Order: sequence, then C-alpha cells, then structure tokens
Amino acid sequence: MRAVEPWVEGPLATFLDESAARLTLLMTSAGQVLAQHGFTRAFDVMSAAALGAGIMASTDELARLMDAPPFRAMAHQGVQHGLFLSGFDTPQGRWIGLVVFGPESSLGLVQLFFERLVVDLAMKAPTEAPSNRVLGSDFEDELNASLRTLFGQ
Amino acid sequence: MSLVNFTSREITCKIVYYGPGRSGKTSNLQYIYGRVPEARRGRMVSLATKGDRTLFFDFLPLELGTISGFATRFQLYTVPGQVYYNATRKLVLQGADGIVFVADSQARRFDDNLESLQNLQENLLAQGVDIRELPIVYQYNKQDLPADLILGPDELDDALNFRAVTSFGADCLSGNGVFETLRGISELVLKRLAAGSRVA
Repeated sequence: MRAVEPWVEGPLATFLDESAARLTLLMTSAGQVLAQHGFTRAFDVMSAAALGAGIMASTDELARLMDAPPFRAMAHQGVQHGLFLSGFDTPQGRWIGLVVFGPESSLGLVQLFFERLVVDLAMKAPTEAPSNRVLGSDFEDELNASLRTLFGQ
Repeated sequence: MSLVNFTSREITCKIVYYGPGRSGKTSNLQYIYGRVPEARRGRMVSLATKGDRTLFFDFLPLELGTISGFATRFQLYTVPGQVYYNATRKLVLQGADGIVFVADSQARRFDDNLESLQNLQENLLAQGVDIRELPIVYQYNKQDLPADLILGPDELDDALNFRAVTSFGADCLSGNGVFETLRGISELVLKRLAAGSRVA
C-alpha cells in the first residue's frame, strides 16, 4: 500500500483487511492518485485513476442534467471481478474511491466497509491547511538536465 | 493541480492538449507514445468513437525521470475537439497544470481555432482559473501542408497569440515540433511548481 499522506494509511489498511479488496485506489476528482493498494505499475495506477475520475465526472454531470443529487456509488459485476466506484467529501476536498474485488469478497462487503473508510478518513484528516514546502534550489538545474535526457536534446 | 508527495518523493502533473476537432491532439499523443521508450510510458488509453474521433479523452502517462530526487510523472490528456462535446472538455480540464493549445494551421480552419481558444478561456474561467496564470504553449500543427493552404507560425502568432506565449510550428504525422512542444510545456509547468510548490 502507498499513500501520499500518512494519515490515510491507517483507515485504508483497515478497509483492506475487512473488505478483502484486491485493488483499491483513492484519488482526487481530477484523477490524481492519493493512495493505492494492489497495483504493481505506477502507469497502471494513473490510467485507472484517469478512467475512474472520468466515470465519476460524467455520472455527476448526468445527475446534474436530471436535476438530481450526484450518484453516491456505482458498481459493475464482471465474471471474475467486481468494481465499486464512489465519490465522497473529505476535509481535504472531494475524493473518489475505486475498489476491485474478487469472489472472496462481495459488493455488499465492500460497500459496508467503504462507508466506514469514508468516516475514518473524515476523522483522521488534518484540519489545518497544508503547509507550503518549496522544492530544492537545485530543482531547476536538474530539471533542464532531465528534459535533455528524456527528449534527447 | 500538481501532486507533490514529499514522503515518497514523487511529482505528478496534468497536461491537457486542447484545440479544435481534427487539429492533431490525439496525433501528438500517438507520436509521443510511439517514440518514448516503453519503460518511460504507460499504455495509451483512448476513449474514442468507431470513427476514431475522441469521445471523452486520450490519456498517456509519462515518466520524466528523477529531478532533484523526485520521480516526476506527467499525465497527458486530450479533449474532444468537436464543439458539441463541451461538457466532457470541461471535465478533462479540471485540475490541469498546463495546456498545449493545438491549432490547425489551415487557413480555412482559422475561425475554428479562434472559437476553441475562446472556449478554453470560458471553461477555465468557469473553474475559477485565469488563463493568464496557467502555463500554456501553442502548437501550430499541419505546417507540412502546401504553403497556399496554411498560415505560417508568424501569421498565426499575430492572429491568435494575444499573450505572446511560446509557440511551436509542428507536423504531428512526421513528428516535427511534437517533442519541442512537450518540452516547452514541461519546463513551464515544472518551473512554476519549483517556484511555489505545496503539499497536495
């Protein structure tokens, strides 16, 4: 499991234990990854986050067109895996959770413990504004070197 | 907004390729995908129609390498260019750290470029973002077409580039200008981040 901010790790670990989820991804509504469990490649995490955020964004817009409140959650059941997707508010803004589960779990179990995860995250979230932390002064020099390496110029 | 993880020392930035339909946004990503070593890029995700027109977005994750000890990743998105897909354009634009505006250099597409540029400004404003404060570069694509069909980079600069941002002439099919454009927006986004980064 990896998380951008350490306070997310406890609630997420509890959720993983209880729900038996195979893959879990927490992201911002813009698709930036905040925490993940189960993915082995960083690129796969980013693609899953982009697609998950896209699904949530489009269903939120559909709800708005129907003059209805946003859908809280969506689920897809495949042959081998199920997928659960839900948006929720935290003191840090709106987040999205994407959970993939297998036959050792169930949609009901995932949904039940996801609701607890949302509550736990709200309780653990720091209330103070994030502090500004400036990157090292050598960042710009190394940036130019890295761009040369990547783009071959 | 860029995500800076000081614990795992990772930076993730979102770049959106914007512009009128058929200007070459997807072609930019396809060229990059084909040329960047596999270890430095993920799978390209395309949500397209049967006719290969972008329906929602294309997405390509890129690894820039380690900068100042931070593993730096870029998420490249395109928006659908057709006028009637504005709702999905707005969604993809959310949280963008930088914009590449891909203009079609053909003289007959000039009004489409202008309309798309105005649409970009409106959609950013609707999200509370002032276009003047967001890193943006222009790319004048299809410069390989016959000279009597297109406007040159200088003419397009005069007509579209009101803020005198960095611009690049390009031909996405052969790749001319594609990496120069990506490098241009990468520099702007990361230098802005270096000037005042924050923990997400």
